Amino acid sequence: MNRLGLIVRREYLTTVMKKSFIVMTILIPILMIVICGVLPALLSTVKNDEKKTVEIVDRTESHYAQFIEDSDDYEYRTVRLSGDLSLYDYFETRKGELYAIVEIPADVLETSTVSLYSSQSVNMTLEQNIAGQLRPILRDERLKGYGVDSLQSIYQRCDRHVGVNSIQWNEKGEENVSSSALSAILGLVLALLTYTFVLMYGAMIMNGVIEEKANRIVEVIISSCKPIELMLGKIIGVALVGLTQVVIWAGMLGIAGLVLGINMMTTPEVTTAMAEVEAVTQADPTVMEKILQMIMGIHFTKIFLCFVLYFIGGYLLYASLFAAFGSAVDEASDASQFTWPIMVIMIFALYAGMFSMENPDGPLAWWCSMIPFTSPIVMMVRLPYDVPAWELLSSIALLYLVAFAVLWVASRIYRTGILMYGKKYTLKEILKWIRQ
Amino acid sequence: MAFIETREVCKQYGEHWGVDHVSISVADGCIYGLLGPNGAGKTSLIRIINRITHADSGEVLLHGRPMTDNDVMKIGYLPEERGLYKKMKVEDQIIYLARLRGMTRHDAQTRMKSWLERFDLTQWRDKKVEQLSKGMAQKVQFIATVIHQPPLLIFDEPFSGFDPLNAEILKKEILRLRDEGSAILFSTHNMSSVEEICQEISLINHAKVVLQGEVGEVRQRFKKNIYRISVQEETFLPEPALFTVEEQSPSYGGGLTLQIRLAEGVRIREVVSVLNEKYTLTGFEEILPSMQEIFIETVGKE
Repeated sequence: MNRLGLIVRREYLTTVMKKSFIVMTILIPILMIVICGVLPALLSTVKNDEKKTVEIVDRTESHYAQFIEDSDDYEYRTVRLSGDLSLYDYFETRKGELYAIVEIPADVLETSTVSLYSSQSVNMTLEQNIAGQLRPILRDERLKGYGVDSLQSIYQRCDRHVGVNSIQWNEKGEENVSSSALSAILGLVLALLTYTFVLMYGAMIMNGVIEEKANRIVEVIISSCKPIELMLGKIIGVALVGLTQVVIWAGMLGIAGLVLGINMMTTPEVTTAMAEVEAVTQADPTVMEKILQMIMGIHFTKIFLCFVLYFIGGYLLYASLFAAFGSAVDEASDASQFTWPIMVIMIFALYAGMFSMENPDGPLAWWCSMIPFTSPIVMMVRLPYDVPAWELLSSIALLYLVAFAVLWVASRIYRTGILMYGKKYTLKEILKWIRQ
Repeated sequence: MAFIETREVCKQYGEHWGVDHVSISVADGCIYGLLGPNGAGKTSLIRIINRITHADSGEVLLHGRPMTDNDVMKIGYLPEERGLYKKMKVEDQIIYLARLRGMTRHDAQTRMKSWLERFDLTQWRDKKVEQLSKGMAQKVQFIATVIHQPPLLIFDEPFSGFDPLNAEILKKEILRLRDEGSAILFSTHNMSSVEEICQEISLINHAKVVLQGEVGEVRQRFKKNIYRISVQEETFLPEPALFTVEEQSPSYGGGLTLQIRLAEGVRIREVVSVLNEKYTLTGFEEILPSMQEIFIETVGKE
């Protein structure tokens, strides 16, 4: 085995065998499930337990209040107040029990406004809930006022959701059904994947470099190999570690999906739901077909290939920066002065990517998918919406050109930095090392 | 022929000279001492020989031809600041470092086994380095340095951090490596170890070689005509024309021990015959300056 291979092997094995790696690999998916699945479910049950009581004082003749139904968070009760009791005095007598009082004025049909009284600032969801429930009630009431028969059902037939079928022509003029929502989600997932991976494993590289420097092992190692071999070995080794972690997670996801799927198949609710879906698709086979067509409409091979290319390029670019900065400091706590610019660029790239989702052909998206420091993230968002080939090629070429240039510069910084101890260096001094 | 030789090697760090026209040459089977105060440029020179850094000018020759990158495989380097991967097991660590310098896994394992036995570390082989005492970690590092049997060994302060017992074991191993034919470059502050094991030295101060030569020859060069004499008598009268008495103390079991400095131009024979007439002389020996004194005198003078 050559020296680079040996270094990669050691880097990979020591990290993968570490207890912290094994624990993290198992713990992160569990944590994700807890944060994304269990916690919101738990919180919503907590909320359900303590419904807030809201009383409605309805001053109209038609008693609209009777149509207002309890929501998950609020229990509505209708009350009548004797003429001379003010709302405030009534509220005072029921203090502690009541969250708020809603007053529906007699002329609500004209003003379309109700009032909400409370001794505290009222939750937005209550306002939305009441407005949402009253709107159709009042609308139907107004429609009734026109005295036209079945106007209500006419209205309901007229007021329908508008669906948009996006159809994309290929060069031969054949139609592909595409979905911008699906594309957007796919793009964002790829961008987030790149972002997380680069930051997580970039930091791992930096800490590894700092550890070797602090241990003083680095002088022994580079007396038997070139500094760039050590640096590259670390970058490749950590990439393999990351790949292993991702593969393990994908496996866990697959197993979890399988187990969950089998469990769900056997529960009665799902079976009925499945039957319903089947009924719908049988009645209207185009629905299933359409979904399938949408998925097929995305060029997976092309996207995957580009993703891998951008991913490797972006990782190489940032990983070499992390390695260079790691070599310039003595302890991890000193590294923040160099890492924050990287963080700022990365976060900017992520936000630029999110904005690009709305306008994937706009100037921000275009420029950010060309500039190498942001292109690995922003181009991911643009990818599902066919990017012209020349743009893709020049962006990838530019990314690799800059990535290798940065790698070269980083290796110059690295070979000097790893032997420098006991001082905090400024960026200016570090840039001098490049020329040495 | 010299195994390794530096010729007029220079290295500047900004305005500051790290190494200033340094030429040394280390022969096979020779222990060469690189002496000098802290910050004199010893480590800078060693790093240039190791090709960790590069000289601004001058050349490093190996068997008379310029050294190349692959020649670092022929070097075993023990840096002053010791360092190992703390989380790695002893044997994994030694084998990794051995393989980096071109050994096969099998050879590395065989040699490691005998070295671990020699240093009494066999039962620690599957422990992590962080579980070892400092002395044991130093031994592990020493093994990792010499395991690939390099013809040139560079030890930077090898005895620091060892207790006297282990330092003695280490010294024996270094001498054994020399007898097996390795050229050894040896940087230290410990002057008594220089007298014991070095054949040649270079004293470096402010990046320049200020003193160079064989240890015995250097000590001769610095001798100051001082002799230690012992007499059985209890009184001793000075002879200003011949010598001055620098120190005088009673000997164990009677008599006196004195240090005298001969006056300029006086021959030893004259002094001995004069003393022989007046006293019962039981001892007469020349005192050569220790490397410690030479070091202080040379460096202090600058």
